[in-house]
Amino acid sequence: MNNFRLIIFLSVVFVLLSCASNQNNKYITSDSISVEEFSSSVELLVSDINFLEDEIFKINAKNPSVQRILVNSDAYLKAGKLIQANSELERALRITKKEGAIYLRLAHLRLVQGLLDESKSFASRALLINEISSWERLLLNVYLKSST
Amino acid sequence: MKIKFTLGSLALIALVIFFVLSAALVAIIDSRVTNKLEGILWTIPAKIYARSLDIAEGSKVNKSYLIRELDMLSYSENENPSKPGEFRYQKNNLKIFLRGYDDQKSGLFDIFIEEGKVSKITNQLGISVDIIRLEPIAIGGMYPSHMEDRILLNWSQVPSILIDTILSIEDQNFFNHRGISLRSIFRAFFTNVKARDIEQGGSTITQQLAKNLFFTSEQTIKRKVMEAIAALLIEFHYSKEEILLAYINDVFLAQSGKRAIHGFGMGAQHFFGTSVANLEAEQVALLVGMLKGPSLYNPRRNPNNATSRRNLVLDILQKGRYIDSSLLEDYKSRPLGIVSPSFRSETKYPAFHDLVRLELRENYEDSELRTQGLKVQTNLDPVLQDSLEYNIKKTKNQLVKKYGDRLIELEGAAIAVDISTGEIKAVVGSSDPAKFGFNRSINAIRPIGSLVKPFIYLTALNKYDQYNLTTILDDSKLSIQSGGEIWEPNNFDKKFHGKIPLHVALWQSYNIASARLGLDLGYDSVQETFNKLGIVKSIERYPSLFIGSFEMSPFEAIQSYQVIAADGFYSPLRSIRDIKDLKGDIDLSYPYKIEQRIRPEPVHLLKFAMKQTFISGTARGYPRKKIDSWEAGGKTGTSDDQRDSWFVGFAGDLLVLVWLGFDDNRPTPLTGRSGALEVWKNFINDIQPSSIERNDFPRIKYIWTDKKDGLVSGEKCKNSLLVPFIIGTEPNTIPSVRSKCATKPKRNQSDVMQKLKKVFEEG
Repeated sequence: MNNFRLIIFLSVVFVLLSCASNQNNKYITSDSISVEEFSSSVELLVSDINFLEDEIFKINAKNPSVQRILVNSDAYLKAGKLIQANSELERALRITKKEGAIYLRLAHLRLVQGLLDESKSFASRALLINEISSWERLLLNVYLKSST
Repeated sequence: MKIKFTLGSLALIALVIFFVLSAALVAIIDSRVTNKLEGILWTIPAKIYARSLDIAEGSKVNKSYLIRELDMLSYSENENPSKPGEFRYQKNNLKIFLRGYDDQKSGLFDIFIEEGKVSKITNQLGISVDIIRLEPIAIGGMYPSHMEDRILLNWSQVPSILIDTILSIEDQNFFNHRGISLRSIFRAFFTNVKARDIEQGGSTITQQLAKNLFFTSEQTIKRKVMEAIAALLIEFHYSKEEILLAYINDVFLAQSGKRAIHGFGMGAQHFFGTSVANLEAEQVALLVGMLKGPSLYNPRRNPNNATSRRNLVLDILQKGRYIDSSLLEDYKSRPLGIVSPSFRSETKYPAFHDLVRLELRENYEDSELRTQGLKVQTNLDPVLQDSLEYNIKKTKNQLVKKYGDRLIELEGAAIAVDISTGEIKAVVGSSDPAKFGFNRSINAIRPIGSLVKPFIYLTALNKYDQYNLTTILDDSKLSIQSGGEIWEPNNFDKKFHGKIPLHVALWQSYNIASARLGLDLGYDSVQETFNKLGIVKSIERYPSLFIGSFEMSPFEAIQSYQVIAADGFYSPLRSIRDIKDLKGDIDLSYPYKIEQRIRPEPVHLLKFAMKQTFISGTARGYPRKKIDSWEAGGKTGTSDDQRDSWFVGFAGDLLVLVWLGFDDNRPTPLTGRSGALEVWKNFINDIQPSSIERNDFPRIKYIWTDKKDGLVSGEKCKNSLLVPFIIGTEPNTIPSVRSKCATKPKRNQSDVMQKLKKVFEEG
């Protein structure tokens, strides 16, 4: 009986701590999110590359000059000009390496190019950036999932 | 039967033979004309450029760096910038008239700088723009054997003032003759007969083109006839515009060392550092005026002659009403405006050029590189390159002063790369960097000394269930059998340090503790780490490997350290960004590649210990504020008998490696600290890298520990240091001597959750 009460108590503590942990982005790491645990829309992201691409294009950079370059890069990507899209993304990286939006696009571009390991590495690299949003983190985890 | 030759028949035969031979000659010349002009007209060397610099709103900017870049691009300071190539820097505002490059149009821009960042950029109309781009500096070429250098122009790129000036000076009747102007020939003939010498030429532009393309400059009747035939044939086959464009691209303008400057495109770049579209009337007048005597009127060698000739051409242009008479005196009063010789596309940086050539030769034939007009954009940062060159020379001079003439033959190599992307920003292959020859940055294979130690310690930290930064290592006397001999390593200070925490052993670079650690880890584990760091060769299984007998080139060594500096992400070092063809389309690109080789957390621990090298270790001496803002870290290396002095360090976005030593491998008086580190410091002090934000490592926790026993300590305890641990690997023992001052490590949610999970799993 005592064991049963202990298990109930511990379960409640565990659930509360889990909630608190999810509210604090700092403790979400690249391998701490399992994509399968999320909603069906995430499953759709994994299975439909066009849907995923649309979501990536919606991620804006904070820096306006970087955003301008990302718009160019997106246009090249849509037109199938992958080398030019990559050149623009590298240009953006030379301005700042702290924008998750750039790495997300690089991860996506490599996925489109069929370079799965590199796509995953770009996603892992982006997860080290401090100021990325939970949604960006989730999208990056999609690339970790896509590559395995 | 006897054939009788009458005088008439002989004349007829002679006439037939003459016509046959003439027809053959014409056919030969015709074939040469069409082959030359319809085939590859000119061999165009591949041009190599430094990176182009983007200035973007929100980006970090360093004033002195920017001014040096503009200086190298031959921008001149002007109170009121009004033409391409001029700028003014006042307080926090840079006003610049861009020359234009690629998709960046020429124009006047204002750049506002606040707290080291670009706060705003506006154009001439005051409208905000996000980003502007400076043109890249040409740093070299791959020249054909005749060393002709040119920038090919198409008709739309040729400004009308250039056409008007050429026609006014060289051939006013160009659009009316058929290749030869009899009037000009007779005029020249009578002048020359009168003078009993060749004083004047009567050549049209077409004849000059024929002469330049097919004949020597020898002035004989035979050559003149051949030239005239070729001119007629050129006019027969091609339009006037095609002929004029060929002339504009072909004329010889100057000799620069071994390089021959041909065409107005290259001429504009060579003398004025700009494109032909940006030339002012007086600059066009100078270039066209030089055609009469490229050497005699060379503005660098004979500025007075050049000025007189330019002004004469301007007079002619004004008479022809091609320039306004009210502007004539203004044009004539202007200085020649020749840019400094530094802005020339000669091969300026031999060691970097070597790297580029090696990368190019993997994809291109030599002949393609020398003839197809490829445009190679590299990652070279000219400001960093110049600084690295300057500082390796400066430091060598300082060392010679300090240690005497025995260091006069000291050699060196250095490489600077962008940590994340692997872009090679600067390379030096000699203590005399401008000298061609043995490139030590890629070809000097030397023992790396203690530069090997971080590889050993990373092997340990990657086994985080066994090692952390405070794991106690043994730095007492070691004596083992190796290769039939007893091997007894020594520390640099010839002392034993007993039991010490792992991080202290690394930043103090203790040999014995490192050798013991390597032996405990085993050769296979260490080899695995070497491979992850991009080292392809196999290690030799001798214990001396663990303290630096391993040999590498500076290039190989910095590649390994790139993985460490980039938190475990390997990116192949690359000197080239992309290669464009003559039309400007990308022919080949060298994209940023990345591969996660090691988890970031163990690398973060290693980088912490390497940061201590600057704070308290072998590279101490920098203000703590700088070290923190750069997130700096590094390692000194000294090989046996001080034959090699190494230092590798990261600061901001940059990773820089320096090697010093003698080519004949004799001992130096230098250690890594007293030699290579000095070059590194001089360079970093000069360029002042931007500060960077530290990456986030959620699995890392910082705890106060004791510097000697590695156990828990506190901020108020003596000899304490805040040390990072991978969560779950931190110490929790508080010795009784520190029970009052020590801070008990807080358990965070992850700890609790891990334990709870364990309970559930076990339950």
